[in-house]
Amino acid sequence: MKKKSQKLTIFLFLLPALLLFVGLLISPIIMSIYYSLFEWNGMNSEMNFIGLGNYSEMFSSDLIRFGNALKNSLILAALSVFLQLPFSLALALALGKKIKGERFFLSVYFMPVLISTVVIGQLWLKIYNPDYGIINSALRGLGLLGEKDSILWLGDKDLALGAVFVPTLWQYVGYHMLLLYAGVKSVSPELREAAKLDGATEGQVNRYVVIPSIKPIIKVSVIFAVTGSLKSYDLIYVLTNGGPLQATEVPSTIMIKQLFLSNRYGLGSAMAVMLIALCFFFAILIGFIFKERDIYGKK
Amino acid sequence: MERNDKMDAKVSDDALKVDLSKYTVKKTNKGLKVAIFIGLIMWALINLFPIYWMFTFSLKTNAEIFGENTVGLPREWKWENYNNALFGKTARRIPGIDYSDEDNKPFELPKLIRYFLNSLFITVTTILISLIAALMATYAMTRIKWKLSGAMNALFMLGLTIPIHASLLPVYFTMSKLGVLDTYTSLIIPYSAFSLSMSILICSGFMEDIPKELDEAACIDGCGPWKIFFKVIVPLMKPAVATIGIYTFLQCWNELMFANQFITKGDKKTLPVGIQQLSGQYLTEWGPIGAGLVIATFPTLIVYIFLSKRIQDSFIAGAVKG
Amino acid sequence: MKRILAVLLVLAMVFSLAACSKEEDKPASNSGNTTNNSSNEGVVSDETATLKLWDIAVPGDGNRPAYDASLKELKVMFPNVTIEEDCTENEAYKPKIKAAVANNEVPDIFFTWAGAFLGDFANAGKVYCLDEELKKYVGNELPESMLGNSTYNGKHYGVPTTMNVVGLFANLDILAQVGYTKIPETKEELFDCCDKLVAKGIIPFGCSGKENWCVTEYLEPIIEKTIGATELNDIFRNGKTWNNAGIATAVDTLQQMIDKGYFDPNGIALGNEEVKANFMAGKYAFYQNGTWNCGDFSDPSKVSFNVTVGEWPVMDASKSSMGQLIGGPSDTIAVSANAPKVAAQFAVEFGRLICHYGYLAGSGLPAWTPYGDTSAVSQLVQTVAGICNKANGYVLFGDNAMSAEDADKYLNYVAKVYGKEIDGAGFVAGLTSELR
Repeated sequence: MKKKSQKLTIFLFLLPALLLFVGLLISPIIMSIYYSLFEWNGMNSEMNFIGLGNYSEMFSSDLIRFGNALKNSLILAALSVFLQLPFSLALALALGKKIKGERFFLSVYFMPVLISTVVIGQLWLKIYNPDYGIINSALRGLGLLGEKDSILWLGDKDLALGAVFVPTLWQYVGYHMLLLYAGVKSVSPELREAAKLDGATEGQVNRYVVIPSIKPIIKVSVIFAVTGSLKSYDLIYVLTNGGPLQATEVPSTIMIKQLFLSNRYGLGSAMAVMLIALCFFFAILIGFIFKERDIYGKK
Repeated sequence: MERNDKMDAKVSDDALKVDLSKYTVKKTNKGLKVAIFIGLIMWALINLFPIYWMFTFSLKTNAEIFGENTVGLPREWKWENYNNALFGKTARRIPGIDYSDEDNKPFELPKLIRYFLNSLFITVTTILISLIAALMATYAMTRIKWKLSGAMNALFMLGLTIPIHASLLPVYFTMSKLGVLDTYTSLIIPYSAFSLSMSILICSGFMEDIPKELDEAACIDGCGPWKIFFKVIVPLMKPAVATIGIYTFLQCWNELMFANQFITKGDKKTLPVGIQQLSGQYLTEWGPIGAGLVIATFPTLIVYIFLSKRIQDSFIAGAVKG
Repeated sequence: MKRILAVLLVLAMVFSLAACSKEEDKPASNSGNTTNNSSNEGVVSDETATLKLWDIAVPGDGNRPAYDASLKELKVMFPNVTIEEDCTENEAYKPKIKAAVANNEVPDIFFTWAGAFLGDFANAGKVYCLDEELKKYVGNELPESMLGNSTYNGKHYGVPTTMNVVGLFANLDILAQVGYTKIPETKEELFDCCDKLVAKGIIPFGCSGKENWCVTEYLEPIIEKTIGATELNDIFRNGKTWNNAGIATAVDTLQQMIDKGYFDPNGIALGNEEVKANFMAGKYAFYQNGTWNCGDFSDPSKVSFNVTVGEWPVMDASKSSMGQLIGGPSDTIAVSANAPKVAAQFAVEFGRLICHYGYLAGSGLPAWTPYGDTSAVSQLVQTVAGICNKANGYVLFGDNAMSAEDADKYLNYVAKVYGKEIDGAGFVAGLTSELR
């Protein structure tokens, strides 16, 4: 009797989320998987079944170079986890201990996230501009660059990838910081005080008290950072749209070109499926890594 | 490592027994503190620059924006950019055509304001729906014991991974079948669905930290799951609410692709679509676009600044971890 | 910014002499129809209908005034037709209209680009055949040659509105410094002019490498003026092989010009807006791009030097000549296959009026024969109109002549040419093997 009613309760609690989820997220995935098996331009009534042809083309084609794009986004994910997140965490910790102007800093650091990507993109285009851009002007001013020379930050295929990543990482520092800050602030002050009274330095408190207790939040941040990197699109579209010579191509830029410019709906869907699978794989992997840590860690 | 283990144990056991007066707290290095503070200020300046830049950009001409004067103050403050952005007026007129009826039109609400209100309504509704659905689902998955709760949670995580661009066509088909195209609903439903996974993630991070004893105590008091949910859990989730609100807002406020596809009626369009309409097929005046972006962004920034105080307060109130 | 890629496809579609001449071979079935050359006042149809209209004439678009004026006049011509208009920004319009067509939600009347874009819709049976409605205008007000781009399997599916071609814009003040008073007309003259400019420290050309379509604005005219319009058209549209020595030569010529410092080396990192701004600030002697720029360049508040427009010099006089252009009518109005007849009639009149008012407003060249007082049209536009009047060959923009899939590959190779990753031989070999 009781079990039955509990099942019903669980179901009722899950119902709104499940309705939204299955109707708008799962069914499109299923449709995408279906489309990905066809050569289809998205509008003709006839669809040509080609099995896994789109998947093999995606990785073998020298023109599409999906593998290269994937590599780029994995580099971005690594940078995001190992550079952007530690930096955001440092900011969150610094702000979390009642520093002067805490609220001011908190608001200001989050602002780039609130600003439309169009603005951020336009701004960085100006910063990177070879003629009058801030970076080249500064280098000329310091005598590191000849008066008539310029560095083509977004035009040189060896530099462009790094140049595109800088603003991408920068814009979302505030995003992760806010999440981590929420965690830092929720660590009970008594716990901190007690550790301090035991003679722990500020650094030790952070390392042994605060960080372990916000681990769930850090996990969330890592998942966001990785899946966000794999899905990154907007800023790269504005800055280079994948150029020069595909040097800054990421899976989403390629996918959107195939879907909406080349009219290859089947191939684009295959890429979408691939992306979803990868993101899911990484999300699970990250969850697993954090669990492992729990076993060997102290909790 | 060992030392910390000891320390940790001590912390949890002795925390409340310590007599404060007997211990002296180690002072943090003053120099380091100043260095950190200066670093924070520098970073703040870097983050404030885009706002200054956006504002000046909105008052410039194309020539200034592209080259002549990219970072400085506008030479001539072109406030008419705002007028153009708000009313979507076209500057060019065809010679020999009678425009008197247009010139004598009574004042009407600027289109961009209308779009702003649409966006606001859609975003707020989305936040509410996704929040309620996420709170309920998280409760079922973290507070009630059942076999597949972990698998269910993993399933919801899948949602984080779906690129919104790729699902345009399937979602469009769905909305069309539901017959809700051209209504606010056609955006609220997909936006709620796409922010759901993140909301659930944030919720479970917070909810897992609420002591189970609270539920049990309430249970003993005779509360059913619904009562526990509303009386115990929801009030304790305040800090999560603020965070979820912000992250959902970010997802919806600037979204373009769905907004553009699902709404074709002028009076239902959203703000990003309205701003996008300021650019032309062959030639674009960037000043009015900058003005539109300022109109879209500044209210957000101001609201955020007010909210951020709120968020902090709610954090402190809801600090139950440790 | 969103708009930028836009222009790529927008660059729009043209028609080909070959296609036209083929049609002209057929018996002129439409001659002797009612001719009405002046403005069409009076009621065309009193049928009652509510029609959905989708277009890209957003408030920021240069064509908006022409749309407003046209719709106003159409109210008189179709008193019982109610139009529900939805404007979408150019770049966002492409996925939007494609998705709508895929979902069978095609609006009754809609803007489209001729060439492969409309072709996909026509081949999928989603658009209305306008042969009957166009009959009374074809051959008189609307030259048959202007329909080549929107004709598939011998049937007309679109109403052309404005057209654009590639123009070589020149800063005459800079040219005067090296002793030129007009745009060079031969390869030797051009190279001589550029050498003198480079010697003086002036950059001859600006070209965005970030937007591949901008490179085609240079490459396609060079190819055309090397192998001739007919040959290039056969390659773009009629499946003739890319394996052509002339194309390799043309590509090598472009790269030779880059090596000689004729192009701004920073261009590869710049978007078209930035390159154009550089030209308008007097940084380059030349800027080659679509004639839609005439509006900006003839505005004295934006350009402070003497500017003129011409065509790319002949590179191989044995195969090409002046008067061979890249471009043609691109912007087109089409009708849903499910729409009532009155929508088709409306669309034809609509296209005609947009063309008329667009020309008067200076937002494009007319695909239809202009009428009314055109004296207010800017000098640059009139110069272009003069060039077009003397033209003896048009070739569609490559990326619009080809299917969407091929165009993407083609642009990819064009980018490799500008990035010096491949030479002429590599370009020809790659396209020969990749494109059908």
